[in-house]
Amino acid sequence: MRSFADVHLGDTIGPVEHTFTTEGVRAFCTLWGQTGESRFTSEEVARREGLPGPIVPGIMSMAVLSRLLTDWADGGSLRLLDVIFRQPVPHHQPLRLVGTVTDLRPEGGQGVVEVDVFLERADGERLVTGKALLAVPLDAG
Amino acid sequence: MATQVEFNRSLLGQPLPAGTFTVSKEGILAFCRAVGETNPLYTDEEWARRQGHPTLLAPPTYPNLFIRHLGRPEVLSVPVRQRMHAGQAVEPLRPIYAGDTLSATTRLKDVYTKTGRTGTMAFIVWETTFTNQRGEEVARVRESFMARL
Amino acid sequence: MFLLDMHCHSVASDDARATVEQYLRWIQVLRGRGYQVDSIVLTEHRRFDGAADYTPLARRYGVVVLKGSEVDTRWGHFLVYGVTDALLRAVDFTDVQMDARRLMEEARRHGAMAIPAHPGRFGIGLVEFLARGAEVPDLEIIEVLNGGSRRGENERAEALLRERHLKGIAGSDAHFVSTIATCLTAFPHPIHSEGELVEALRAGEFRPLRLEETAPTPLRNTTK
Repeated sequence: MRSFADVHLGDTIGPVEHTFTTEGVRAFCTLWGQTGESRFTSEEVARREGLPGPIVPGIMSMAVLSRLLTDWADGGSLRLLDVIFRQPVPHHQPLRLVGTVTDLRPEGGQGVVEVDVFLERADGERLVTGKALLAVPLDAG
Repeated sequence: MATQVEFNRSLLGQPLPAGTFTVSKEGILAFCRAVGETNPLYTDEEWARRQGHPTLLAPPTYPNLFIRHLGRPEVLSVPVRQRMHAGQAVEPLRPIYAGDTLSATTRLKDVYTKTGRTGTMAFIVWETTFTNQRGEEVARVRESFMARL
Repeated sequence: MFLLDMHCHSVASDDARATVEQYLRWIQVLRGRGYQVDSIVLTEHRRFDGAADYTPLARRYGVVVLKGSEVDTRWGHFLVYGVTDALLRAVDFTDVQMDARRLMEEARRHGAMAIPAHPGRFGIGLVEFLARGAEVPDLEIIEVLNGGSRRGENERAEALLRERHLKGIAGSDAHFVSTIATCLTAFPHPIHSEGELVEALRAGEFRPLRLEETAPTPLRNTTK
């Protein structure tokens, strides 16, 4: 259980390595109701749309960033995840999920932790950038 | 004179009923498998019950899945070369449980133009609220789409 | 040496998520790690909020907060420093297809300065338009180092700077709290107002640098 007292401005969350696979993206798309070939699953469709290859749906990147945050909060809850898709997220490339604590405030009997979150390539180039709010207990006891 | 994009202004701020969605246990488990989610609140019904919940919870970004199925009118009245997802914000307000039925209401928040690496673009911003069968607002999702003009 | 981040966006810009106070608080974190940051210039997209007064915040955190703007033109984005009411009447900052040459002229006429932002940016930077025949004979300063650049984009700006013997400024182009002040412009003397900033730019004594270059001590590892 993460408590507010343990969190400090500038703390780093992660980094956690993550690679999206075409099989994983296909499974996600099926669940999402995106059946048939698309920029997410087909090399050919992606190239026709001017992309270098099939990409990861934005909401799948969000789900993975959410996991980074709730795993770290360990019992805390996600209040907001607000992201900007800066560049297409490719399949089969080692990526990094990372966060930085940028603000802290007690609010309504809980601690609110504000975090910058990034999904970035191994060379540091940021593909998805965002801001998140997490609520954690003021005292873990 | 500012470059403005032609769009249906009567839609701005109007609440539009946009569909009803059922949250199933199978759907939650499949979502968790697809994104590698292992938090037992979302994967282990018994564990969730022991934490005081009636059943399995949906992960925080789960309502995102319903967005592409919303019934929404066309906004722009100009030709568009390509559409891309520019950004999204999900704001979980209350727990969403397996078995919940969520009603979506969507509103056009904003339409504006700017320029970027891909030329002149129109940005279309929608906000959707999801309400459960008990009338409680459980999540808000704001999406921003970029249309290359 | 006085160090300014000459390009950043607060929540007043559509795609930014940091408040001015969060930036100033983050600068205290950077200072605690041994870095030097003295000032930021808010360059909100396509707008200038003349009424916003950051003096109390600036005083509380010991950071000079100046205001400028980043506007869209037919030849890419431009940073405008020393914005006046008269300039706002002469130029529509919301026009994403404005004439860049006219913007530069009007800025000069009104005691301000318009400088190409991230000129090496693919698709939208001034470099692209110069290659297609755009002529900007009075170009003297460009943003040569931009914290939001993709690989190769700052290099293209540097090549332009060398080729045309220009001077370069730097800015983080921050949209999120933890990205403020990654790139800075060093001036020889303190700057306290937008007017002084334009004067200092005209004087030509400045150079771009990265945040890492301002730390006298090795980085502290904060990873948990």
